[in-house]
Amino acid sequence: MAVLLVAAAGPLPDGFVEKELMPLLRQHCGKCHLDGKNKGGLAMDGRLALEKGGDTGPVLDSKTPRQGTLARSLSYEGELKMPPTGKLPKEHLDKFMLWIDAGGPLPAGKAPAAKTHASAPADDAKYWAYQPVGPVSPPVVSGNAWARNAVDAFILAKLEKAGLKPNPEADRRTLLRRLSYDLTGLAPTPEEIDAFVGDQATDAWEKQVDRLLASPHYGERWGRHWLDVIRYAETNGYERDGAKPNAWRFRDYVIRSFNADKPFDRLIREMIAGDEVAPEDPDAITATGYYRLGIWDDEPADPLQARFDEFDDFVATTSQAFLGMTMNCARCHDHKIDPIPQADYYRLLAFFRDIPRYSNDRNVMSASSQRDITPLDRRKLYEDELRQRQDLVAKLTADRTVLENTIIKRMGAEDQRASEGPDRPLVLKKLKEFQKGDEGQRLRQLIDSVREMERKPVPSQVFTLAINRCSPRPEPTQVMARGNPHAPGATVEPGFPKALGGATPAIPVADPKAPSAGRRKVLAEWLASPSNPLTARVWVNRIWQHHFGRAIVASSNDFGKYGMPPTHPELLDWLAGELVRQGWKAKPIHRLLLTSSAYRMSSAGRADALAKDPGNNLLWRQPMRRLSAEEVRDSFLQASGRLSLEIGGESVYPPIPAEVLAGQSVPGSGWPVSPPEKSTRRSVYVHVKRSLQLPVLGQFDQADPDSSCPVRYTTTVPAQALGLLNGKFSNEQAGHMAARLGKEAPGDIRAQVARAIRLTTGRIPVAAELDADAAFVKSTVAAGTSETEALRQYCLLALNASEFLYLD
Amino acid sequence: MTQPRQFCGRTRREWLWETGAGFPAAALAGMLGNDFLARQSRAADGSAWTNPMAPKAPGASPKAKSVIFLFMYGGPSHVDTFDHKPDLYPLDGKTIPVKTFGRGGHRNQGRAVGPKWQFQPGGKCGKLVSDLFPNLRNRVDDIAFVHSFHAESPIHGSAMLMMNSGRVLSGFPCLGSWVTYGLGTPNQNLPGFVVMLDRTGGPISGPKNWSSGFMPAAYQGTLLRATGNALNDLNPVLSPADQRRILDRLGQKNHEHLLTRSDNSELSARIASYELAYKMQASAPEAVDFSREDQSTRDLYGIGKGRTDDFGRKCLLARRLVERGTRFIQIYSGGAHNDDNWDAHSDIVRNHEKHAGNTDLPIAGLLTDLKRRGMLDETLVVWGGEFGRQPTAEYAQGTGRDHNAYGFTMWLAGGGIKGGIAHGATDELGSAAVENRYHVKNLHATVLELMGLDPNGLSYFYGGLDQKLVGVEPVEPIRAIMA
Repeated sequence: MAVLLVAAAGPLPDGFVEKELMPLLRQHCGKCHLDGKNKGGLAMDGRLALEKGGDTGPVLDSKTPRQGTLARSLSYEGELKMPPTGKLPKEHLDKFMLWIDAGGPLPAGKAPAAKTHASAPADDAKYWAYQPVGPVSPPVVSGNAWARNAVDAFILAKLEKAGLKPNPEADRRTLLRRLSYDLTGLAPTPEEIDAFVGDQATDAWEKQVDRLLASPHYGERWGRHWLDVIRYAETNGYERDGAKPNAWRFRDYVIRSFNADKPFDRLIREMIAGDEVAPEDPDAITATGYYRLGIWDDEPADPLQARFDEFDDFVATTSQAFLGMTMNCARCHDHKIDPIPQADYYRLLAFFRDIPRYSNDRNVMSASSQRDITPLDRRKLYEDELRQRQDLVAKLTADRTVLENTIIKRMGAEDQRASEGPDRPLVLKKLKEFQKGDEGQRLRQLIDSVREMERKPVPSQVFTLAINRCSPRPEPTQVMARGNPHAPGATVEPGFPKALGGATPAIPVADPKAPSAGRRKVLAEWLASPSNPLTARVWVNRIWQHHFGRAIVASSNDFGKYGMPPTHPELLDWLAGELVRQGWKAKPIHRLLLTSSAYRMSSAGRADALAKDPGNNLLWRQPMRRLSAEEVRDSFLQASGRLSLEIGGESVYPPIPAEVLAGQSVPGSGWPVSPPEKSTRRSVYVHVKRSLQLPVLGQFDQADPDSSCPVRYTTTVPAQALGLLNGKFSNEQAGHMAARLGKEAPGDIRAQVARAIRLTTGRIPVAAELDADAAFVKSTVAAGTSETEALRQYCLLALNASEFLYLD
Repeated sequence: MTQPRQFCGRTRREWLWETGAGFPAAALAGMLGNDFLARQSRAADGSAWTNPMAPKAPGASPKAKSVIFLFMYGGPSHVDTFDHKPDLYPLDGKTIPVKTFGRGGHRNQGRAVGPKWQFQPGGKCGKLVSDLFPNLRNRVDDIAFVHSFHAESPIHGSAMLMMNSGRVLSGFPCLGSWVTYGLGTPNQNLPGFVVMLDRTGGPISGPKNWSSGFMPAAYQGTLLRATGNALNDLNPVLSPADQRRILDRLGQKNHEHLLTRSDNSELSARIASYELAYKMQASAPEAVDFSREDQSTRDLYGIGKGRTDDFGRKCLLARRLVERGTRFIQIYSGGAHNDDNWDAHSDIVRNHEKHAGNTDLPIAGLLTDLKRRGMLDETLVVWGGEFGRQPTAEYAQGTGRDHNAYGFTMWLAGGGIKGGIAHGATDELGSAAVENRYHVKNLHATVLELMGLDPNGLSYFYGGLDQKLVGVEPVEPIRAIMA
C-alpha cells in the first residue's frame, strides 16, 4: 500500500500509521466509518475522506489539533462522544492523540462522492403540485341531465370513461341528515326533516344548503376541522401540562371567522402575521395564538434543543397546513424524496426567528405569549381601574408602613435607626417579636390584599394568547448539521422553498425599536398569493375532504411524492381557481359542492361499480361515514334533549369517571369539573388537555393535538362498545332521553319507540320495526324491570345502533 | 382504474387506513373466528380487511412472545441497588468534584452520599446485589444487568416519554404500541397492550406514557387493574339478562342496517365488536380471578402479606396475562409525585426501603414462577426506571440524590437473554456510563429484536416520514446480553 503522509506530519515513528493506528481505527471506528460506511457523514477510509469531515464539518484542526472535533470526541470532551459505546482505554487513546497531533496522516484513498439529490432537478421542476394552477375548463359530458354544475362534469367525465354510472340521488331524509352533520355537526330535527320532505319548491335543496351555511353552528363544525390541522390544544403537555391562558379566544376567533366566511387569504395573514398586518385588530392579534398552540417543555433538559423544537413545530405545522409540504422532514438532512434541501427548512425557519420562546420560565402567563387586546372603548375604563388600583395600593402600602413603624418604635434604638436605611428588611423580620393584639393579623391582611390585587388583571383588561415581544433584529439563522442546534453551520436568510421558485425576498432590516422583524408578513403575503401553486389547492382539497369522505389528494397534508396522487387533478385545479375567483371565501365553494349531483348521490353499493372501482376512487357514490368524536357526544346530548347550544366563551370540563382520572399523577388535576349546564355544551368547547381526554371523545378518535392532524382515524374497537354500553355518560343520557320520551309521548310505548327512532335516525319507522322494539320494552318489563328503566334501556339500545352512529 | 401503489414498502391498505379513506381500522369480525362474517367484509379498496390486532408473523425468529416491563418510576438509584461502587462508601459527606445534571441543573461538585446498603453476592454467578433486594439476589443467574445506560433528559416528564416512546417529545407511539403494531396479539378477548398503575396513581404526564401517538388508538395501552373493576367500563350497569336482551335486539337492528350495506366492513366490525365486548366482560375478570392459584403460588408473590400484596397481585396477573397471550404488559412501581415513587430527593433510605420492600419479593416470585412453568424462555422481563440517581446529595442536608441520566442500570431476564451477566460500567462513582455505553434506544432495539421484529425496519408512515421507534439512524440491539 502506498503511504502518502500529510506534509504537516510531526515525528511519527516509521510504520506507525499502518501497524499501530490502522488496526485501532478498524477496531474502534470501523463499524461506522470504514468500508463505505459514513455514519454522521464521516468516512475514515483515507486522507481525502477524512479531510472532508462529517456532517458537523471538518474533524481535524490543523492549528490546534487537540481542539478538533475528532480529538474532542475521542477524549469525551465535546458534544459528540466517540466511540459511543465508551471512552477508549488510555493506551489506545494516547496513540490516537499522537496521530492527531501529527495531522492525522492516512493513505489518500478515494475522494468521497459528492452529495447527490434523490431526484433529478428536471424531474422536480415538472412535478404537478409545484406547477401554477392553470386555467381549466370543465369537460364536456354526455350525461348532461345528471351534471348540474362543473363539479359534476369533472366527476362524470371520469365515470363515463370507466363505463360507470353515478349512483342515483339519496332520499330527502338521508340527504338532510348528511347535510346537517356535514355543515353543523348536528342532526336535523324531525321537524326540519318534515319541512324539507314536504317542500315542493324547485330550490328546496338550495334553501337547506343556504340555511345551514348561515347557521352559527357551521363555524363550530368547520372551525374544528381547521383546529385539527393546526394542532389546537389548551395545555402545554409534559410534566405539568399547564393550561395556556386564554387559548379559548383563539378557538372562538376561528369559529367566528368561519361563520363570517372570512377569506382564507385574510386568515393566513392574520395567523402568520396578524401582529404585523393589523396590530390594532384584536382578532388579528388573537390569530397569532397560532404559534402558541403547540407542545412546550417548561423544564427542558437541553434549552437550545427545546428552542429549536419550538421552531420545528412552526415549520412543520405551517408547511403542512398551508402548503401540503412536509418541510419538517428536511430538519436533519435533505428531504428523502421531495426536492426540499435542508437549507430550505432553515430558510423557512428564519421567517419565525423573531418569535420569543413561549415563556422564559415555568410561568404560563408569560409576557411573550399573552397580549393586551382590551378594546379601545374599554381601554379608558381599565386605565381608570388601573389608576384606582394604583391609588389603593399606595394607600394600603402607606398604612402598612405606618403600622410597621408603630411596631418598630417598640424596638431598641439600633433597630429603629436601621429601619430608616437599607437594612429595613432585616428589621422587619423581627416585627413578630414586638407586635401586639391584632397588629400581626392586620399587617398580614394589608400585605395579602396588595399581593392579590397585583396578581390579577384589572376587570376590564382583556388578554389573549398571542405572540408578543418579538425581536426586531433576530439572531442569524444557521443550518444545523443533522438538525443538531449545537452544531450550527452556514447562515441563511429567510427564503421560500426551492421547489416553489426559491426566491429570497428583500426584507428591510427593522428599526431596533420595532415590535417585530417584519419577516412574517412577507411570508404571509407569499403564502396567501393567488400565484402560490399550493395554498389554494391545499385548502380547497380540505373542503372537498369533509364533504366527500376523502380528499382529492387523500394525503391532505402531503402533496409531495410520498403522498397520494390526486384522483381528479383537473377538478382540483378548477376548484383552486374558483376559490381565488370567489375571493378565497369558503362558503361559495361549499355551495358549489353541496348543490352538485355528486354530493347528493346515495351511498348504496352496486355490484357493477364495486367490481370496477371498489375503492370509489372515481366517486360513483357518496361514502358512508361514522360520526366524528364530537358528533357522537353532541348527538347523544341532542337525542337526550340536554345539549346546550351556547356559543363561544371559556372552555368547559364535563365530568370524567374517577377510574380514568386515576391515570393522572394527581387525579383530577387541571380538570375543574363544570356545573351541569356547562357540561352539556358542544364538544368543540370541551377543554383540550393534552394529557387527558374525555373518554367518549378519545374512544371515537378525537385528534391527537401534539402535531397536525389532517385526517382522523375511524377505528372500531371493543372499548367503544364497552364505553357506550356500560359507561356513565351514555347511561345517563339514555335516562334523560327516556324522560324526554315520557314527556313527549306519555304512556304510549309505541309512540315513544317511534319518537326514539326519529330522534336518533330521522327516519319514520315501519310497523314491523315498531312491533319488535315495543316487544323489547314489554319483555324487559315482563322480566321484572320497571317501565321507566325498561324505556331507559331501550334508549341505550337506540343510542348504540349503527344507524345512529353512521350517516346514510 | 389506478393500480394499488407502493409507498415506501407500505401497502396501499396502510395508506388508506392512515388517510381515513374508509378502510376499517379494526374490522373485528375475524377476531371471533367467524369466517362467514369475514367473507362478507371488504375494505373500501375492495381487498379483504385485516384486523390491526390480529396476530402477525414476526420477520425473524422471535426469542420471546411477550414482554413484562417493570417500570420503576421516579428513577431508582443504581449505586444503592445493583451497581456496586466500593469507592463511594468512604467518600460519604465529603465534597467531591463530579459533573452532574439533574433537576438542580448542572453542577461540577457535590457532597458525596455513600451507598446506604451493603452488597452481597448472589447465585452461581456471584453478582453483587444490595441488601435492598434479598429475594431478587437469588434470581441473578437468570438476569443480565446493563450498568451503562444513558438517556437524553434528567427531567421526569421528558425522560418518561424517552423510556416509553424513544423521544423526549410527546406524540410518538410507545414501545408497547410498536410491539402490538408489529405483532398483533393472539388473544382477542383481552387487550394486547396493558398497563397497570401504582396504587398511588399514574406517572407524570399520565396517559401520554401509554399513548399510541400518531398511530391509531387500537395500539394504545389499556389500563388494567389487579383488583376490583379490571378494565374501564367493564362492569355491566345492567343485569346479565337485561344486557343480553339489549345485545340481541341491537344485533338484530344492526344486522338489518347492514343488509343493504353489506359492502361496508366497518359495520360488520361494529357488530362483532359488541360480541367481543360482551366476551371481555367475562374474560377480563377471569384473568384477574386468582381463586384457582394455590397458596404456595400466592406466597411466592407475597400476596396477602401486607406491603407486597399490591405489587404481587400485579405480577401474578402479568403471568396470567402472558399465559393468555397478552403481548405487552407494563407494571408501574411508584406513582404520583415525590416519595410515592422512587424519586428520592430527600431521604434515600426511607424512600428506597419502601419501594424495594414492596417489590423485591413479588419480582423474584414472578421470575421463579415463570421459570418453573417453563414460561421464562418465552417471556422477556425488563426492569428499570426513566433514569438513575447521582452519587452526590441534592441538598445541604439529608441523603437524597438528584436525577442522573448520564448513567444508570437496567436489567433484563427471560426470552433470549443471557442470564448471570453484568455488562457495561459507570465510572468509579457511578456518575456516568463510561464502558459499553447504551442509549435508551439500544434497549428498545433489543426488545424489538428479541420479539422477532427488525428495530431498523419496523416503520409506520406518518408526517411524510417512515417513522421508527429507534429514529432515523440505525440502532444496534445489545448483543452482549443476548443468548
